[in-house]
This record gives sequence, C-alpha cells and structure tokens, in this order.
Amino acid sequence: MSGTYRGLVVERDGPVGWLVFDRPQVGNAMDAAMLADLPRAWAELDADPDVRVIVNTGKGSAFQTGLDVRQLAGDRDALREQSRRTKKAELRISAWHNGVGKPVIAAVNGVCAGGGLHFVADADIVIAADRAVFLDPHVSLGQASAFELIALARRGAVEPVLRIGLTGRQERLDAARAYQLGIVSEVVPDAAAAARQLAEKIARNPPETVRLVKRQLWHALEVGLSEARRAAATEIVRSPWAATVPTSQQELLGEI
Amino acid sequence: MPYTEYQTLILRRRGPVGWLLFNRPESLNAMNSVMRAELADAWLELDRDPEVRVIVHTGEGRAFQTGVDVAELATDGLGMERYRADLEAYDLHFTAWHQQVSKPVIAAVNGICAGGGFHWVADADIVIAATTAEFTEPHVSVGQVVALESIGLLRKMPFEAVMRMALVGRYERMSAQRAYELGMVSQLVPPDQLREAAQELAEKIARNSPAAMAATKRALWGALETGLTQACRRGALEIVSVWGHPDQDEGPRAFAEKREPRWADPQRPEPKENGR
Repeated sequence: MSGTYRGLVVERDGPVGWLVFDRPQVGNAMDAAMLADLPRAWAELDADPDVRVIVNTGKGSAFQTGLDVRQLAGDRDALREQSRRTKKAELRISAWHNGVGKPVIAAVNGVCAGGGLHFVADADIVIAADRAVFLDPHVSLGQASAFELIALARRGAVEPVLRIGLTGRQERLDAARAYQLGIVSEVVPDAAAAARQLAEKIARNPPETVRLVKRQLWHALEVGLSEARRAAATEIVRSPWAATVPTSQQELLGEI
Repeated sequence: MPYTEYQTLILRRRGPVGWLLFNRPESLNAMNSVMRAELADAWLELDRDPEVRVIVHTGEGRAFQTGVDVAELATDGLGMERYRADLEAYDLHFTAWHQQVSKPVIAAVNGICAGGGFHWVADADIVIAATTAEFTEPHVSVGQVVALESIGLLRKMPFEAVMRMALVGRYERMSAQRAYELGMVSQLVPPDQLREAAQELAEKIARNSPAAMAATKRALWGALETGLTQACRRGALEIVSVWGHPDQDEGPRAFAEKREPRWADPQRPEPKENGR
C-alpha cells in the first residue's frame, strides 16, 4: 500500500484489503488524525483493483470504542470539524459514509462501543470474536445517539437497539446474543482468521456483479419495497450477463 | 371444481386449503418459461376459488425451488434476454405478491431453496420448512445479479444474513435451523410431516374471517412500502374498510353461540393497475 496512515494499518493480502484500527492503547478510539485519514484509507482500498473484499478489524483487545474524547477536547479545530459533519449528517467515518462499493466485512475482535457501532451498522457482513461485546454509552455521558442506532434498527430487530441506546454504559450485548439477533452471522475464537476465509469465498465471485448487488440491497433501505424492486429490475437489465452459465441446476448447486 | 391441468404445477384443494405444487422434480423444480407463465394463472385460479381460504405452496420431490431453469437458459439461444422486457417494464407475475393474492399464502419449504427460489419465500405471508431444508443464493457466483428476492427478504429478516448470502453466493448454505433462528421461517417440521403441518396451520388460519385477513395482509405488506406514520395512516383505511362487513356481526355472534363462524365468501378485489 502506498500511503501511510495515522492510527490505521491499511494493507493488502491476496484479494483481501485490510483496514485495521491501530490505537490499541486507547481501545482504538478515533482521534483527530485517525478521523482525518479514514476517508483516504477506505478510498485507497476501494480503488485498488487487486482488492476484492475489505476486512475491517482492530488491534488489541478492543474493536473500536468511538471518538477519543480526551484527545479531541484538546484539538479545537478537529472538534469543530467533527461537530460540523455531525450537524449536517456528513460523517466520513464508515465504509458507507465514504461510498465504498466493495463488500466490507467487520471482524469485531473485542469491545465495540458508541461510535464504534458505525462500523458494525455500516458493514455488509459482521462476524465477531466470542469475547466481543456491543454497547452504546452515549446517553450515560449526556450525548444523544442517533446515526449508528438508526442504521442498526434498519438491519433487524428494533427492541435490542433501543435497549442498547437507552441503557447506555449500564449494559452490554454479548456476541452470543448478537448472533441470535442476526446482528452478526458468525461467532468464532479468531474473528480476523474467519473473516479472511469468508473474504476469500466472496472474492471468487465476479466483482462487478458483487458491487451491483451490494448497491441494490443498500438502496432497499432507502425506499419502499416496490420502489426498491423496480429500481433493481432496471439495474439487473443493465448488468452484463455471465459469459458462462451452468447447464443444469445440479451443476449450479453441487451436492444436494 | 376441477382445476386447470398444468404442465409444471399441480393444483388441488383439501378442505379450505388450496395447494400449489411445483412439479418439475427432475429439474429440482426449476422455473422454466412454461412454469413462469403457468404460475401467473395458477395463483389467480386459487385466489378466485371461493372454496379456498388459504393457499399453501411446496415442491414435489426433494427440492422446494431452485430458481430459473439454467438448462433452458443454456440451450435455447435466448438466455437471460427472455426476461429483459419484463424486467424493463417491471412486469412480473410469478409470485403471490406479484399477483396481489388476497388470501393468506404459506410456503412450505420441503428441501433446497436456491437463488430465484427465494422469490417464493420472500413473497409468502408465512413460511415453514422441513428440518432438512437448506438455503443458498448462487446468483453472483455465475455472474448474475440477485436483487428482487433479496430486497424482499431483507425487509422481513435481519439484513446482515441476507447480504451475506447474496455476496458469498454458492460457497455457503444456510441451514433450516439458522433460518428459523433468524425468523425467516416460523416453524420447522420433520420432512415427512411437512405437508401435514402446513395443512394443519392453514386450517387454523382458515377459521378466521377472510375479509379481515385480506385487509390485514394489505396493511402489513403496505407497511413495507413507506415510513411508519404513513403506514399507520394507510392501515387505518384498511381497518375502516371492513366496518359494516357481515363478518363483523357473524364473528361475535358465533362466539356467543359457541359455534364456528360462517364467514362471507372471500371476494378477490380488483387488483391495482399493472400489478406490482
């Protein structure tokens, strides 16, 4: 990878691009420098033709614990910029904020708190280490929580999201419960290793098709059912058809 | 009343339950052009039969549904182009939802459900499955875009699971157990008891007022089209639409007289223009 990043490790390994939070001493919290570099990191991985799938994880015992409030309190310019983006709903933190077109897997290696939930809510696929926990301490600190929880509530059951939002730091949702609720699809000892295996499966599928599917399914969260389907039908027709088609259901599906 | 003889489907009625069976077991019930056309008629035939109160659909043989018949695609020279005009016009007629079926529809997933097979899971009101059923979404692995069926599913169950199946393609399958946990299906049954369980569930539902259920269906599916407040406003219209209906007197009277209600025959309302 060409660029250097502050608070992040960005690298490629085979078809997998890694975006790794690298401030383990503060729970991978986002300081001004990391916030400034995240858009470039997502953009670089999205643009690299050798990267088919992006995996997002954290170093150390935490996945991501949100804004580094202590650092930002001493950096008035950065704080002002973050406040401005929040007011205008123009965050540039997650893959979704940054318009990433490739599949993104969040590999939640440990605690995911507050603003860290952006990276879960805005990923395509989420898997977790068995020690992972999810919480949203915003209200315990006198802050309102909205973006992360709104996106999570669109993705599944709403009650658990309200509960996370309203219990604040008093409760945490563990990986097993997140699996039951369908917030994550896999709980494993080593989230990064499992994410790599999963990414390699996805990388076998043609990238343009994968990109189109991703875009249509996210668009479906923006509009009603019929409108989403109508828009997708138009897109399907525009897409290039496969050059090779299997010649039977059996060949398509394998062992049944 | 005898039903039409279809090449690729079997229609029959057992008590108040209309059965629609995918009947191409040798092709894992793949949908060829004939089935696609026959489904449009078959849904309407069952929806219009006043003896039918609930519709169940399932597959003959070991598969539920495996989507477009790839053998047909590969051999007759038309390929996917056959669908271009229908997709461009968004003019589809092969699911109960496309056909605006007014009666409750139960999908009984008897075996593998793959790719386009998800159309019937996404568009059913209730889904039950054999414990041996499996789910997989191979579209992207052969360069095809999956969207319509996944879009329906992600409105009804956790997004992540739907996105995972769509992006991983043929390299993973979801078990019936996981589909149950995620709320994609509401009941798992040993495979040899699936049809009996579906009949039993359908007969329970058939004891309820057809008019009330049709309005409830419209309200709940309509809620997938809009935000919450607008959905409630439209729901209010559905509630009011059955006020004054004879079933509203018959229900309480039957209850007081400790007997089964005699509901008015279901009426299929005139569908809105241009289907879905």
